[in-house]
Amino acid sequence: MVVMNRLINPGAGFARAGLAGMVFLAMLLMSSMAMAVKYDVVPPSGTHTGEDVPQPIEFPHDIHVKDNDINCMYCHTYARRSKVAGIPPTSKCMGCHKVIATDKPRIQQLTKYWEDKESPPWKKVHDLPDFVHFTHEKHLKTLAFDRDFPVEDVKEICAFCHGDVENMTVANKVKPLNMGFCVNCHIANKDLGAPGDCWKCHK
Amino acid sequence: MSLDNILNHWSDYRKGAEEGGHHDYEHRWAMAINLDLCIGCNACSTACYAENNLAVVGKERFEKGQAMHWMRIERYWDQQELEHPEQGASFLPMMCQQCGAATCEPVCPVAATYHTPDGLNAQVYNRCIGSRYCSNNCPFRVRYFNFYSYYESSWPEPMEQQLNPDISVRDKGVMEKCTFCMQRIRSVKDKAFMEDRPVQDGEMVPACAQSCPTSAIVFGDTMDESSMVSKLWKKHQVERGVYQKTKLAKKDADLRGYRIFEELNVDPSVMYLERVREDI
Repeated sequence: MVVMNRLINPGAGFARAGLAGMVFLAMLLMSSMAMAVKYDVVPPSGTHTGEDVPQPIEFPHDIHVKDNDINCMYCHTYARRSKVAGIPPTSKCMGCHKVIATDKPRIQQLTKYWEDKESPPWKKVHDLPDFVHFTHEKHLKTLAFDRDFPVEDVKEICAFCHGDVENMTVANKVKPLNMGFCVNCHIANKDLGAPGDCWKCHK
Repeated sequence: MSLDNILNHWSDYRKGAEEGGHHDYEHRWAMAINLDLCIGCNACSTACYAENNLAVVGKERFEKGQAMHWMRIERYWDQQELEHPEQGASFLPMMCQQCGAATCEPVCPVAATYHTPDGLNAQVYNRCIGSRYCSNNCPFRVRYFNFYSYYESSWPEPMEQQLNPDISVRDKGVMEKCTFCMQRIRSVKDKAFMEDRPVQDGEMVPACAQSCPTSAIVFGDTMDESSMVSKLWKKHQVERGVYQKTKLAKKDADLRGYRIFEELNVDPSVMYLERVREDI
């Protein structure tokens, strides 16, 4: 930032006088640089009305994501490291909920599971057939990390296939996740290197 | 993929066969199998069963020719006047040769088998309708048809736990064959992609090569000039797209490379190393 100030204004006196303004300008510049992503992605299209999946604890995604601004990858930590995004272990929940909202009935339910050394029997909502190979890590690398997409906004990338989880309580399947859904997106994003080979996904 | 597309695809290939095919290949996986090292122990076949969820069909169906061994050891007796009839067998591990100009591909009515950018003959089980044209058109007889659903009989509970989750369990009415362990190729490529580097030689080892006690099977990418398999192909003067080649030094003991049915111009990806004796 210092370098940038010097470049914009070599006069030291003026720089001191307008330091606050310069810092503000530089921050604006940097934030706009961070927002500028390398290339555009055509998001997949299609809707689906999934059946409600009853979960052992009615987990509110909206409170976590919208109200408290927790990144998807904080809990679904395997998304950037492996094929599956993963359901967080109970220890992750308890990391916060040992102290936060301990008086709420759902948290007490969770604490009971934790104390009984059992994991809540979460149900899978987005289930692909066994003959399909899908990796979260490669999609995240291409769509987020390689594009310099701001990590704090990664929920927009997740929403491509998982819908607006931000405004859901218990997650519901709102995208078809069928072959047409995948293939159309892969064709639209061919320039990003989306493969069109059958064996990339079929196994 | 429409019929036109399939036909154009094929004619494109035939046009360019002399120049090595029409594909913009990413890899061209190939094997070199040293038959002088093969002891016929069937470890490769067993490893293949474990890796690729192959059904165990049982003795009766085996005798009917319905076995599902993607990797089979063929035995030949070519030495006369030995004391015992079992003596002197020579072995040949036989699997899908992943032909560059595969005869199975153009006959599939639904394009379930096609050529991948990896230079492999893919079999998409979901597309397959079980017409068995491909199997009948394969000169190597390495395609296997699921005449029955073997799930119950082959993996009785709790043996379904041993199934490899990276490859689907094929059901009745579907053709299947050796894939060069494409699930391993895929995971190796995924790993390389995540680490922003090309796939390295020796990283990808199929189940058969991994289990071979004498390391008779060498696997690699022939597009990578420095790979072990490229060097072997070059050393033994076996080339893709070339089906009749006068070898430089015929009497040289170490020019053993040949490809099976090379004269059919199917351009197999498997080179066998064995001195071909013409006096038999």
